[in-house]
Amino acid sequence: MPLSQPQTKRAEGVPVTSCWNCKGAVSGTHFCAACGKIQPLPPGMDYFAFFAMPRKLTIDPAALEGQFHMLSWKLHPDNFVRASEFERNLSLERSSELNDAYRTLRDPLTRVEYLLEFLKVRKEGTTKQQAPSELLEEVFELNESLDELRDARAAGGDVAALRGRLDAAAQNFQAKLTEVDAELGSLGTQWDAAFDSGADDAKRSALLARMSEVLNRRSYIRNLVDGVQKEIAAA
Amino acid sequence: MGRVVGIDLGTTYSLIAYMDEQSGAPRTISGPYGSSLCPSVVSVDAKGRVIVGEDARNRLLTEPERTIYSVKRLMGRGVVDIQDELKIFPFRIDAKSDNVIRVVLGDKSFTAPEISAYILRELKSWAEAYFKEPVDRAVITVPAYFNDAQRQATKDAGRLAGLEVLRLVNEPTAAALAYGLHKQKRGHVAVYDFGGGTFDISILKLISTTEGDIYQVLATNGDTHLGGDDIDNALMDLTRNEIKAKYGVELDHRGEDVQTLRKSLIRAKHELSTAEKTLVEYPLGAKGMYSREITRTEFEKLIAPIVARTMAPAKMALTDAKLTPKQIDEAVLVGGSTRIPLVRKTVGDFFERVPHSELDPDEVVALGAAVQADILESGVKTMLLLDVTPLSLGIETMGGVIAKIIPRNSTIPASAQEMFTTGVDNQTAIDVHVLQGERELAKDCRSLARFQLKTPPGPAGLARIEVKFLIDANGILQVAAKDLRTNDQHTVEVQPSYGLSDTEIERMLEESIDFAEQDFAARQTIEARTEAESILAATDKALKNAGANVVAVDERETIEKSETELRTAMAGNDYKLMREKIDALNAATEHLAEVLMNGALQTALKGKSLDEF
Repeated sequence: MPLSQPQTKRAEGVPVTSCWNCKGAVSGTHFCAACGKIQPLPPGMDYFAFFAMPRKLTIDPAALEGQFHMLSWKLHPDNFVRASEFERNLSLERSSELNDAYRTLRDPLTRVEYLLEFLKVRKEGTTKQQAPSELLEEVFELNESLDELRDARAAGGDVAALRGRLDAAAQNFQAKLTEVDAELGSLGTQWDAAFDSGADDAKRSALLARMSEVLNRRSYIRNLVDGVQKEIAAA
Repeated sequence: MGRVVGIDLGTTYSLIAYMDEQSGAPRTISGPYGSSLCPSVVSVDAKGRVIVGEDARNRLLTEPERTIYSVKRLMGRGVVDIQDELKIFPFRIDAKSDNVIRVVLGDKSFTAPEISAYILRELKSWAEAYFKEPVDRAVITVPAYFNDAQRQATKDAGRLAGLEVLRLVNEPTAAALAYGLHKQKRGHVAVYDFGGGTFDISILKLISTTEGDIYQVLATNGDTHLGGDDIDNALMDLTRNEIKAKYGVELDHRGEDVQTLRKSLIRAKHELSTAEKTLVEYPLGAKGMYSREITRTEFEKLIAPIVARTMAPAKMALTDAKLTPKQIDEAVLVGGSTRIPLVRKTVGDFFERVPHSELDPDEVVALGAAVQADILESGVKTMLLLDVTPLSLGIETMGGVIAKIIPRNSTIPASAQEMFTTGVDNQTAIDVHVLQGERELAKDCRSLARFQLKTPPGPAGLARIEVKFLIDANGILQVAAKDLRTNDQHTVEVQPSYGLSDTEIERMLEESIDFAEQDFAARQTIEARTEAESILAATDKALKNAGANVVAVDERETIEKSETELRTAMAGNDYKLMREKIDALNAATEHLAEVLMNGALQTALKGKSLDEF
């Protein structure tokens, strides 16, 4: 395979290894600079490093998509149909990693979730299910309305009025979701600034902790909105 | 190595195509009847010989219990899945079928991949006759909405037919490739593929990069049990009920009579694509003639619910692609059922534009497959397909709930890693159940496979086994496990829930000998022998009639020597040797043929004036 593409920059935290084929030095790059052979994924390489990008939360979608297409062109198994089984497997490994990375990074929400998981601030799939304190009262009211709706439905009573109340509640929470997203966006900008200015670990940790907290709140409200919409649809 | 081809293994028809190097365009290959459409029908005669295509389709009327159509509907499915279809389709299921359906044809029973393999072998023979070379590798297309088991069954069929399956390509994606090449268009394209038995909708983005063109599928959706067959069945229901009500005749849905009726209903359906009305006639013997006019309005009313079923998947695909109908630049029609005016109108109304149908909707998928086969084979990449997995992949967790690990419409290859541990002390095996589908409960999703992870006994929670689930470029699942404590790479014996195991396939391959080489050689031998016979007969005749003035003694001797050598070669089975001797005889008779030709011309010219020519 011709190797005209520029080699990706050396990624953060990726150890220098040697090429399986020509023993030249490689470090997180997709192909060996000397012999052009596709390389195994180094352990612990994160999605940002895969795209040779800093671990920042503001990403230009068009630039990311362009990178995705460029790397797809080079890494896709189509290129390795006639290569050795070892290389075919490397292509499968790298191209699936590329697709997983692109899927995660292109959505701002999964992007921040991934960053927190990768930096071990959050465990995958863990979301605290208790209501955030400032929402307690509204959540309490909402649950009451939901109970009434279920009772009314079971008794065959009038659900129209209750539905209206729930619609309003759902809209209220939807607005809160927008607020939370704005807050998350602002924290993201602060994180990027801290990254660029080389802020200390304490400041970074504090930002990560706040992002994790906002994500919990978001996931709680999201579940609430989904639940209400399901009940309304069922009524 | 032999040739590579692209194959559209369809519900009603199958096609084979190749990349024509001279024109740089893909072309389909026609069979013995001059058509590129091979009916996907397989029949087994009383002697156990397998008949495929047009001849098999004719046998639907004479030997229905030995003949099967629409076998694609059975691919990758279990007996419980097909109870509804059994009421409509005349499939005879072997009572001994377990997780793999076996269909009875005469005295034997076959799995769906075996029957599909016969169709593939028929197409392969068309291509081999055309190239006069073996064909051993292929890209085969599948409905985009096919699940893992259905894809695996298709790949198994390829293997059983002696083909290395270079790639399974989704039908709408293949169509988009053929279409994109043809039109040189860029932007968002919706491919609406309504075939004989399956419906797919795919939304693609066509991008030009400095390297080449990329066809990126953004979302796909569909129904693997919705197609022209359903329209035929609706017409069948209508007419069978009327025949029963008016004449008191009940047609057995598996019998020959019903196949005759079905044939005339399909003809009526085709006619209604252009005509406003059509007449269906069906003789009922002594009871008279069932004669029924069907208008297009009535037909459209009858099929409206079937056509409407395509709209929910279309909307879902568009939502998943995060696009509105207005953002679609082109809508492309694929599949025979898109010839129906109501289907065209429905698609046009939904996408708010006149859909494209310049390319033959029957051929376009096979043509796209041929393009992809050529790219994979030649190693010269001029374009890249980025396809997606149509269904979410998940694993069963506590309480029968499914945990999604790869969402639907993820670009493939895609992967996910999950950590497994033990729940009780001294547990030595962890059961993993992999499923595919969008529902929340495991029981509502498609079971793909089960396997066990083995671990040495120890306290609960100590084991740490990392399992990597990977969906490859064919949309087929691969599983690898690693024990993080011991660093042992586990080989995972995945038992497919509905499908053939590797061992079963190996056995089938052994039983059926290696068809690929032998078939080709046998056919070539027969062809060479036939050709040799006709040349020898012609030469003998010429030598007999030619006097000494026409052929010299030494020339006669040379010809006779060549004849003897060819006869000797014919006694054996070496078709290459026969061809060599045929060529030698042709060379030896060249002068004689010329002399005779001139003589014949002079005889013919005699007594004719020039202006008669």
